[in-house]
Amino acid sequence: MILAQTADLPGDLVIPDVAWSSFAPELLVTAMALVLLLVAVAKGRELLVTVPSALIGLGVGTWLVTEGLVVPGGVTIALGIALPALGFAFPRRSSMVQAWGAGLALAGALVLTGWQYVAVLNVGGDTLATILPQSALAGALANDGIAFFTRITVYLSTLLVIPLGYGYLQDRRINRAEVEPLLLLSAVGMVALATANDLITLFIALEVFSLALYVLAGLARRDPRSQEASLKYFVMGSVASAILLYGMALLYVATGSLSLPVIGAELGALGALRTVSAFGLALVTVGIGFKVALVPFHFWTPDVYQGSPSNITAFMAAATKAAGFAALLRLYLVAFPNLQTLWVPVLSVLAAITMLYGAYLALVQRDLKRMLAYSSITHAGYATIGVVAVSNAGLSGTLWYLLTYAVGTLGAFGCIVAIERTRRGEVTLVDLRGLGKTSPATAGILALCLLSLAGLPPTAGFVGKLVVFQAGIESGLTWLVVIGVLSSVIAAFFYLRIAGVMFLEDADPTRPLPSASTGLSTSIAIAATLVVFLGVQPQLLLQLADTAAALVR
Amino acid sequence: MGMLSLTIVLPLAGALLLAFLPEAGDRSVKQIALVASLAALVTSLVLLVQFDVADPNLQQAETWVWIPAIGAQLSLAVDGVSLVLILLTTFLTPLILLASWSSITDRVRGYAAAFLVLEAAVIGVFAATDLLLFYIFFEFTIIPMYLIIGIWGGAGRKYAAVKFFLYTLFGGLLMLVAIIYLYTQTPGGSFAYADVLALELGVTEQRWLFAGFALAFAVKVPLFPVHTWLPDAHTEAPTGGSVFLAGVLLKMGTFGLLRYALPIFPDATVEFAPWLLGLSVVGILYGAIVALMQADIKKLIAYSSVSHMGFVVLGTFALNATATSASVVQMVNHGLSTGALFLLIGFLYERRHTRQISAFGGLAKRVPVMAGLWLLVSMSSLALPGLNGFVGEFPILLGTFQTNRTAAVLASFGVVLAALYLLWAYQRIFHGPLVGADNENTTDLKAREVGILAPILVLIVGIGLYPQPLFDLVEPSVDRVLTEVGVEPLDIEPIAATSEES
Repeated sequence: MILAQTADLPGDLVIPDVAWSSFAPELLVTAMALVLLLVAVAKGRELLVTVPSALIGLGVGTWLVTEGLVVPGGVTIALGIALPALGFAFPRRSSMVQAWGAGLALAGALVLTGWQYVAVLNVGGDTLATILPQSALAGALANDGIAFFTRITVYLSTLLVIPLGYGYLQDRRINRAEVEPLLLLSAVGMVALATANDLITLFIALEVFSLALYVLAGLARRDPRSQEASLKYFVMGSVASAILLYGMALLYVATGSLSLPVIGAELGALGALRTVSAFGLALVTVGIGFKVALVPFHFWTPDVYQGSPSNITAFMAAATKAAGFAALLRLYLVAFPNLQTLWVPVLSVLAAITMLYGAYLALVQRDLKRMLAYSSITHAGYATIGVVAVSNAGLSGTLWYLLTYAVGTLGAFGCIVAIERTRRGEVTLVDLRGLGKTSPATAGILALCLLSLAGLPPTAGFVGKLVVFQAGIESGLTWLVVIGVLSSVIAAFFYLRIAGVMFLEDADPTRPLPSASTGLSTSIAIAATLVVFLGVQPQLLLQLADTAAALVR
Repeated sequence: MGMLSLTIVLPLAGALLLAFLPEAGDRSVKQIALVASLAALVTSLVLLVQFDVADPNLQQAETWVWIPAIGAQLSLAVDGVSLVLILLTTFLTPLILLASWSSITDRVRGYAAAFLVLEAAVIGVFAATDLLLFYIFFEFTIIPMYLIIGIWGGAGRKYAAVKFFLYTLFGGLLMLVAIIYLYTQTPGGSFAYADVLALELGVTEQRWLFAGFALAFAVKVPLFPVHTWLPDAHTEAPTGGSVFLAGVLLKMGTFGLLRYALPIFPDATVEFAPWLLGLSVVGILYGAIVALMQADIKKLIAYSSVSHMGFVVLGTFALNATATSASVVQMVNHGLSTGALFLLIGFLYERRHTRQISAFGGLAKRVPVMAGLWLLVSMSSLALPGLNGFVGEFPILLGTFQTNRTAAVLASFGVVLAALYLLWAYQRIFHGPLVGADNENTTDLKAREVGILAPILVLIVGIGLYPQPLFDLVEPSVDRVLTEVGVEPLDIEPIAATSEES
């Protein structure tokens, strides 16, 4: 259970190699975020920003290629060329440059993630293995399966969110220049959270993406609900962070280390400070429980999800959950395996309550975004089954579940954005009446994504539930899986009600039809394709999740 | 690609063609759908020709790698039981599509596509030999059926559709838990039917797992007391939906019991058999008595389904070669006769737009052909010797009598009650004084409608007169299952026995 990087114990006076390549995707995205911020500031003189940054990109890329790092070099060069090209392609439309730039950076990050994956998997005798160690920054970052798979989920979600929200933000006149850079930074923060292998890195990463999200949630400055969401998220999030920090401090007291593997080892050897570490564990559980919205730490979710701009909600639902669970997995499986007897029962009960309570509350919602918020709470419960299974199967199950949840929920929010664009205020069930007749494509895709969230075959959501249930039963948690099944039936009811309103009721001709811009329809189409593809042919990514799990433990 | 996979792929291809064909007129939609379903019928007939009747094992297996990461394969094969049910499916689907064209005018494309998808999924259920694949097909049938009931159904369609969905989903999900548990028990993790069958399970394990499987199938059959979705679904579904539901979908439950619940959990089967016999007897009698009291003709037939499917479960759990083989035959018979009844009700409904029995009376004078066919089909349903219902129900009772006398005796009353409710309904609709302008103006069946019914009627009479080929087809497979359970196949020729006594 202890990671390979335990060799980098504090106290070794060797100055460690920074191993830049192990966070290459994050570097790329961060750099792009900074460039985009500068583009936003440049106001009409974009070339002054894009050309120098392109030159830097070309220089760095060429150097990387000469160093033998062909893939990262190639990606850097491509992005370098793309920047001024975008400036020429969209003169005087810096928002378009920003969106494309962000999208390309994320695509590049996905490519780099794939490259890292291949490099690490080839460990036996390949030269790349020396370039890409499993840890970086003296063991503060871990480059393992949790990191790789979460990178895929987070970058993919962000990549889909950018075109998804572009037109929506313009409609509402909240397409402010900081949106894309903030999205990129928060994606970096999420990935950093997934790679964090010591408590300080973990906390900083958490704050990085949370701060960006607090701002994004309040993007609609004239909309009081958005303001409320932002403030609520900020206050609750800060309290959660404080609790988490307190827990971390207690863990430090108990073990004398901030590094997760060391904490893991120390907790095993511990005698006297068991109470302190148990309190630390409890507080950390509360803090992380807030972030991933486990009942009873969920109550910020509905208001924040409902009030935030829909594309931001989609981002929060898909990506934040993945990052939060990555941290949860790493904390519990790397740092706390020796306290299993304490946390497995607690988390199991939390998972059970979360699944049932989320589904039950979702039943009575009329507002679609609120309903999806409660559904996201339910899904946190399912994902937790994989954590409490404490096995490779559970680990890969949770990672995979989060990906399937992300694509399904992105598709669903995409459709909601399309509906929301042509009307003011929230989208309630009544707004969907007869959509199956008036706008079959939107209704069909929304129904597909909801079926996936409900976990019906042959969609991605089914395979997601299947693998976590498998892991749960394998670890003897059949009771929890049965509760999961019960909650699935309750959940199916409210997903089905949405589908029913769309397909079984007559349309109201006075209601405006949903409208999807090119970007929005592209995102929705990609999400829907992934929902079907991951459901019918999951082998490729499921295998990836399995190897990811094997890389951790 | 073998004939079996082709039988699944052809309707699916038809559905995809319909989905992506822009702006197809209703006429071409109907043609495409019909061609696709007929193509599936042809391939399933080829399957029958290629089938080796003497071999009791699963035949014509086809396997593709699918998700090795979790040990799931796309593997298909048929034995006699599944082949018969596949044939029933491919036989009924084109007829259902033809029968629907006059009544369905709204969103014809979606209707046809839903039926083709449903057909493919049901064939998949019968053909799958991988438990995960089976589960996926089994659960997937819910979605098109939900849409068929919910979009093209009657006034209370939304309630009926949701009830149908949730009931069957709930049962299915518990089965999923059991399937995953079985998966974790297989060495190396596999969903393959053969691997699961090879497991040696403890008795307690078997009880729980059997309960998971049996509940899923009991909801589908539907067995008393989880039958309450069926009357609603049947009543509100469009004619085609009712025919498919009665004809094929319910059989997934009894098929599942025979294919999975019995051989995988032999000890639990023997232990729970008396309970299931009891529930089927209650279902038989309860369904029949409630059917007697119905004012809505479709609801009447729905409750009669509960009663008739009770016979099938009774035969299955009699664990006796005669009864269990006959219960498979009875699945086919019920599909044919209840399907035909629902078609007739649909034709009547198109003319009158009511299903209340009290609205009719004396129709035989105006619609002699319909009345004659209705009577014939009712006779088949109430098991008149010489028609197909008899060769199913009689050996079931005969076989059950050998293993559980009480159950057989009580169940026999179901046959009597069936005669009562079916003939009484017939009498109230078609005989008596011809009152009212509506009844006066009811028109008789058109040639097209008779043509749709004709193939079913041929089989009703054909199986009734010469059922031996059907028994020959299913008996080896049923014997195989019963050997797994530990029941020695008896050397009784059920047909010889019945023909002597009839």
